Amino acid sequence: MTHYIFFSGKGGVGKTCMACTHAVRYADEGKRALIVTTDPASNLADVFEQEIGHHVTPIAGVPNLFAMEIDPDQATQEYIDRAMAPIRAAFPAQMVQVIEEQMSGPCTAEVAAFDRFTDFLDLPSQDGSNYDVVIFDTAPTGHTIRLLELPAEWSLSIDKASQGSGQTCIGPTAAIQDAKHKYEHALSVMRDGTQAQFFFVLHPEAIAIRETRRAISELEKLSIQNFQLIINGIIPPEGTQDPLFSARAEMQSDYLTQIERELAFTKQRMTLLASEIKGIECLRTVGKIFFDGEQVLTESEASGKKTVSVASPPSIDDVRAHIQPNGNRRTLFFAGKGGVGKTVASCVTAVWLARQGYKTLLLTTDPAAHLGDVLDSPVGDDVSAIGGQPNLWAVNIDPKAAAETYKARILADARQRGRLESAIKVMEEELNSPCTEEMAAFDKFIDYASQDEWQVVVFDTAPTGHTLRLLELPVDWSRQIDVKVFASVDASTADDVAKQRFGQVIEMMCDPSQSTFAFVMYPESTPILEAWRAAKELETVGVHAGMVMANFVIPPGQTTTPFVQSRRAMQEKYLAEIRERFPVPLIQIPLLATEVKGLEMLTELGETIYGNGQTASMTSRFTSLT
Amino acid sequence: MTEPVTLFDVPPAPQKTADVEIFDPPMCCPTGLCGPTLDQTMLDVNEMILSLQTDGLRVERYQINSHPNAFLGNTEVMELVREKEMEALPITVVRGIIVKVGTYPAQDEVRAALNGVSA
Repeated sequence: MTHYIFFSGKGGVGKTCMACTHAVRYADEGKRALIVTTDPASNLADVFEQEIGHHVTPIAGVPNLFAMEIDPDQATQEYIDRAMAPIRAAFPAQMVQVIEEQMSGPCTAEVAAFDRFTDFLDLPSQDGSNYDVVIFDTAPTGHTIRLLELPAEWSLSIDKASQGSGQTCIGPTAAIQDAKHKYEHALSVMRDGTQAQFFFVLHPEAIAIRETRRAISELEKLSIQNFQLIINGIIPPEGTQDPLFSARAEMQSDYLTQIERELAFTKQRMTLLASEIKGIECLRTVGKIFFDGEQVLTESEASGKKTVSVASPPSIDDVRAHIQPNGNRRTLFFAGKGGVGKTVASCVTAVWLARQGYKTLLLTTDPAAHLGDVLDSPVGDDVSAIGGQPNLWAVNIDPKAAAETYKARILADARQRGRLESAIKVMEEELNSPCTEEMAAFDKFIDYASQDEWQVVVFDTAPTGHTLRLLELPVDWSRQIDVKVFASVDASTADDVAKQRFGQVIEMMCDPSQSTFAFVMYPESTPILEAWRAAKELETVGVHAGMVMANFVIPPGQTTTPFVQSRRAMQEKYLAEIRERFPVPLIQIPLLATEVKGLEMLTELGETIYGNGQTASMTSRFTSLT
Repeated sequence: MTEPVTLFDVPPAPQKTADVEIFDPPMCCPTGLCGPTLDQTMLDVNEMILSLQTDGLRVERYQINSHPNAFLGNTEVMELVREKEMEALPITVVRGIIVKVGTYPAQDEVRAALNGVSA
């Protein structure tokens, strides 16, 4: 029987690394192992230091180990090709093209990626090859939950659809009836504790604990069990001679106690290493530390390496020009993988701007958002003023809640127009499809982004891959509307209005005088590469990076021990790489002894980064990085 | 005289064709709710279908990507599709006879066609 292992947790906690460590260990033990990533911003190739791509690829140097990155675009194309084959054969070219355009909508992408994912839960019968272990390096928490929730929702959608109108947003029932068996099988495998195992990787931090608890309870609702925790990034004894790391180790020990108390699952720990984890040999070393409890000292990066010259920091005026409004309202997008500090970067920037007197709205559509945690002030689904900080408002766009509101609005409108109750029932079924959430959340973002009262809108976006899809939606939708013109002969004015609305949003996102895209990362290989790929992909829709932010930077004056020196040396190398890859202002956020929380801390940190509005410098408890 | 030979215990169910068939243009869903805006025309069509169904009539809707065979199985529909391409759709067929091409019919038109044909 094939064993399935899922790795979950907030992005940037070492999920991929732990998944790869397990995969290499199983393969070395002689088990036939396959590691699959469903993360749209996958980094398997970086960790294994070889090309992988959208097909099962043998890993060089590890017999028995295979890997695959599910490419959402390619999965979509494969899905479309399969559905289109009979149509291409029989219909005129113009119609084939229109149907293809239609199938390129946002719903299809979500369906296709998931469809491919479930294929792997059915592998033995698929290609005749047998794997002893299949490891899924899943997407970050919020997205993972949605991905894993889909089978339940879909089985429901399909059942309802066959009783009702015979259609769902996913596609007509006939087309997905075959898939139903597959999705049910996927869910039954995930629910079977003897076949499936869920690892949650987390750092010993407050937000990570809360998020892990929430993620596990979501899965428990789906009758999934067999959870285990890997607590990663624990500062080793040799690291604690340094004051900053010693303070962080103390913070960690409190959180470790909290984890023991609050999360009653099997737990394993993994230490923070002096250098990053990359390559097969390194993964084997990590395996020795993790599985065998060996004390292995990884080579120090500092020794014998030339110091990388640190380029002069960008001028504060240049940085401010990217965040302050310039005649128009400015919309700031903070993009980057979950866990890199996007929320902190958004909050620091929003608080600083509010303190400069700009009416600022801070919002997120990330299902795993924690604006309220960082601001230390409640943030709900309605725009609310942040107590203690004039000019600052915040709102958390919960996709589920947005979908409910959207549904209610559409149904009320239909009732008002005197639609039959039976027709309204059909509409309700349609609206229960998973795509409604995505659509409703975006619809709400546009609502806020086009309100005139804000001078600055700060958007703490969802993790990279998800963000891209979300941001590409307006383009997709205006294409959908072009296609939809055929559906109704009355020139639909509502569609024209909508198209104009999306057009304005696209224009705003592409105009550097109105919008700034800030890519947040920490100075390590994987996050940089992910941010760079995301930026490249955004360029294809005409959106360019305006600035980059490096988080968790160890202040230069802090490097008193070999452990910290080694980590600082690694960071310097990567700070140089960030400058090389992103020819835009680079802002550095220092690594702090504690988590960033509360207005006071955000204010001080903001002044360290963006300067003080009035005087040139002020005493700060944060070491300046420049 | 020999008795007729019974070939089936139960006679095969008569292949009752639908009273009304609608060959839709390609779209995400029939109520128009999948797109970013509501299409009231699609809602009207949906209500018409429900109303016909309430009267015990059989109504089928086909889309090319889900029911290509329904298109391929109707020679007249395919002729229109090949000739006029997208502009031919939607096509409404009442008891095998094409009654509307290029736009959706009003309920009255369908009812009139049903009465005319069945009379």
